[in-house]
Amino acid sequence: MKVDKSLPLEYGTEQNRLNILGFWVFIGAEIALFGTLFASYFTLINRTGNGPAGAEIFEIAPVMIETILLLTSSFTIGLAIHAMRMGKVKATITFFIITLLLGLGFLGIEIYDFIVFIHEGATLQTSGFTAILFLILGTHGAHVLVGIFWGIFIISQLFKHGLTPRTNNKAFIFSLYWHFLDVVWIFIFSFIFMKGML
Amino acid sequence: MKELFPRKHVYGFISSLLLSIIALSLYYFDLTFQLSMSILLITAFFQAAIQLIVFMHAGETEDKKSIYITIYYGVFIALVTIFGTLLALIWGYY
Repeated sequence: MKVDKSLPLEYGTEQNRLNILGFWVFIGAEIALFGTLFASYFTLINRTGNGPAGAEIFEIAPVMIETILLLTSSFTIGLAIHAMRMGKVKATITFFIITLLLGLGFLGIEIYDFIVFIHEGATLQTSGFTAILFLILGTHGAHVLVGIFWGIFIISQLFKHGLTPRTNNKAFIFSLYWHFLDVVWIFIFSFIFMKGML
Repeated sequence: MKELFPRKHVYGFISSLLLSIIALSLYYFDLTFQLSMSILLITAFFQAAIQLIVFMHAGETEDKKSIYITIYYGVFIALVTIFGTLLALIWGYY
């Protein structure tokens, strides 16, 4: 395996470079996916039937906490990659664990939020509006959940193999995914929650 | 310890927190809907740019061009989908 030392370890081989480029293409497709969900949301936003509208069920406190948790986790995974590039395996793993814990906290609050919605009479079947609301939040939440499992496997590989071109490449691609989830959340936060509460 | 917290990342984090606070504060101000939405659009796209450039290192290798073309193309598809849907189904231009 030819490793190019002039680049960060995760780009070192041709295969690794292509893996990263390929993941960017996947992110492009994910942007389109969430675009369709937002299009459906804006279409169905007033189809509330007998159920509540957004302004009646959205609350600022949980949304604020979710935003801070996810923003901070995006920061810590950035620090993990920075530590990884300095060859500090312990710091990398620590930042990875903090990131996943913050992600878990985010999911916990999101689930709590879902339970509150359901208690207020907004279920998946209540109206077109609540259906698309749960679909778009759930799609994002499912991505976070997958990310948490993915992250656990990366941590175990870092423990086992340390920082190699291969593990660095996997960790870097995971960081791209995690930052992307934060970007999606910013749009959900701005154009679903903030817009709904204005 | 200090070298684990590079300036670029710390500033990126602080600016995304600030942008979030600006967006959140709209809840407490009684601005017009149009003005609030414009501010939200600006804060959201700035935050996305911070993630992309500061944290995701989008421009650091020879693949920079391909990466940006992919992302612009994805954003283009998303915007056409969203505004095309709004035009046809909500705003009534069909």
